[in-house]
Amino acid sequence: MPGFDVQQFRQQFAFFQHHPDWVYLDNAATMHKPQAVVQAELEFYQINNSNVHRGAHQLSQQATAMFEQARSSIASYLNAARVHEVIFTSGATAALNQLAFGLMHTVLQPGDRILLTQLEHHANIVPWQLHCQRHGVIIDVVPLTPDHSLDLQAYQDLLALGPKVVSFSHISNVLGHIQPVAQMVALAKAAGAVTVIDGAQGVVYQQPDMQQLDCDFYVFSGHKLYGPTGIGVLYGKTTALQLLTPLLGGGEMIEQVSFVNTTFNKLPFRLEAGTPNIAGAVGLAAAIHWLQKFNNKQLQQHKAELLREFYQGLSHLKAVDILSSPVHNAGIVALNVDTEHPADVAELLNQQQVAVRAGQHCAMPLFSRLQLPGAVRFSFAAYNTLDDVNRSLLALEQAIEILTA
Amino acid sequence: MTLEQLLADTFPVLQDIQQTDLAQLQQEKDWQSKYRILMQLGKKLPPVPEKMKQPHLLVKGCESRAWLMHYHDKVADKHFFVLDSDARIVKGLMAIMLCLVNGMSSAELAKFDLCHKFDQLNLKPYLSQSRGNGLTAMAERIKACC
Ligand SMILES: Cc1ncc(COP(=O)(O)O)c(C=O)c1O
Repeated sequence: MPGFDVQQFRQQFAFFQHHPDWVYLDNAATMHKPQAVVQAELEFYQINNSNVHRGAHQLSQQATAMFEQARSSIASYLNAARVHEVIFTSGATAALNQLAFGLMHTVLQPGDRILLTQLEHHANIVPWQLHCQRHGVIIDVVPLTPDHSLDLQAYQDLLALGPKVVSFSHISNVLGHIQPVAQMVALAKAAGAVTVIDGAQGVVYQQPDMQQLDCDFYVFSGHKLYGPTGIGVLYGKTTALQLLTPLLGGGEMIEQVSFVNTTFNKLPFRLEAGTPNIAGAVGLAAAIHWLQKFNNKQLQQHKAELLREFYQGLSHLKAVDILSSPVHNAGIVALNVDTEHPADVAELLNQQQVAVRAGQHCAMPLFSRLQLPGAVRFSFAAYNTLDDVNRSLLALEQAIEILTA
Repeated sequence: MTLEQLLADTFPVLQDIQQTDLAQLQQEKDWQSKYRILMQLGKKLPPVPEKMKQPHLLVKGCESRAWLMHYHDKVADKHFFVLDSDARIVKGLMAIMLCLVNGMSSAELAKFDLCHKFDQLNLKPYLSQSRGNGLTAMAERIKACC
């Protein structure tokens, strides 16, 4: 296979042609979309638009076929055992809300425990809190070691308490650390827990193999996988999905409705009330098709090289306090400049057209553990270049100079 | 430290910002110098002691936090303010807001158009990104004092 040509890769993103002066390092927030995705959504609306699963006409049947084809592409990307194990949601947040709601009563009874970790995104904390509080379910939290990795010994000790559900992120959205998910799933399963992986940051790093990973649920958002916003996936094993009470009721998810009793449709429709984001699903499938034209190993190698250069450059800057470890890192560097507020650092980078995120990145429990008001986050994607790395380092150097003058 | 002391310490700084720093800020051509001045402004203001940063004084930005204290001299009908923020650039920008309204009467404050004034001072670009950094929230809080 020929080497990875980043310029050729980057050319497929019209966004960069419109913003040639910007260095975009906010990929953990959302990624840009290749032309193939934009085109697929556009064509869907221009040529194929109709509602799905309901029209008597051929146009609706065509749209339905495209929508179901998208599901099937995603199922095969994830190596799901069955196509109906892919449930479309509006994103990772919606999927986690469905899980937290849907497992109450069926799996979780009052007095039961669930297990989360210290570095979860609020989307993998708050939905559980909302429902656990109302149902008397106890939340335990896996702590971090001093080097900010998950404390696996403590994880095992907490598993011994017998949590019914264990939910953790594949990759930390703040630190970029890759969690040992295979090992964590195996341990949780041995302890008899239902396993949930928040793959919002993980899915772009590694094509997740559901049958190999063997987790019960894996969720992600399309927009962090070169796809559109407003579409995401709740993958679940068939047996696990059957445990879920639907969060949303409405059209298409039912079999029979009367005011006495309503019976639900079969999977996946039971968990997809209302008109879905049809164009979004088509766009996400297009993103996956497009991505599969590349060798992911090469994309990740390129990103690792950027990361290496970035760390190398950081080592020459004074006053930088790096929170992310360079090992087992998927391409995110969180840092602070002395005791300067991250918002000040980010604003000075913004002035130099370097897009980063500052703050607590929807992970307040992590920052209270780190005893920091926040951090500046540089997150890389395969379309970033060495020039992006160098420009961001120069901009950071300039920001430090202004801040510490 | 009491509110009276803080007000007494803050008032002359705000006056000084209005009389000298604002003009200097407008004269600077490059963004680096403008930002250096903005950060200096933040430093000039006396910090509000942690104990006094009560939750109801908090003006939340997306990434940083600020606190606004207010005193209305009813006899003279004049409004005075004290400010702090954990981010320096935001604090500098807020200091500019405050120096523009410092000592105004209720009627003046009600009429005051901060957006227009920032435009005149060529500071509009800072306001336009302000939804995140809390400047708009601070402007609303100031107006709500009259
Ligand atoms: C680890 C993690 N989980 C969940 C989410 C929520 O994703 P979304 O806002 O797309 O639903 C994010 C997004 O930032 C994330 O990084």
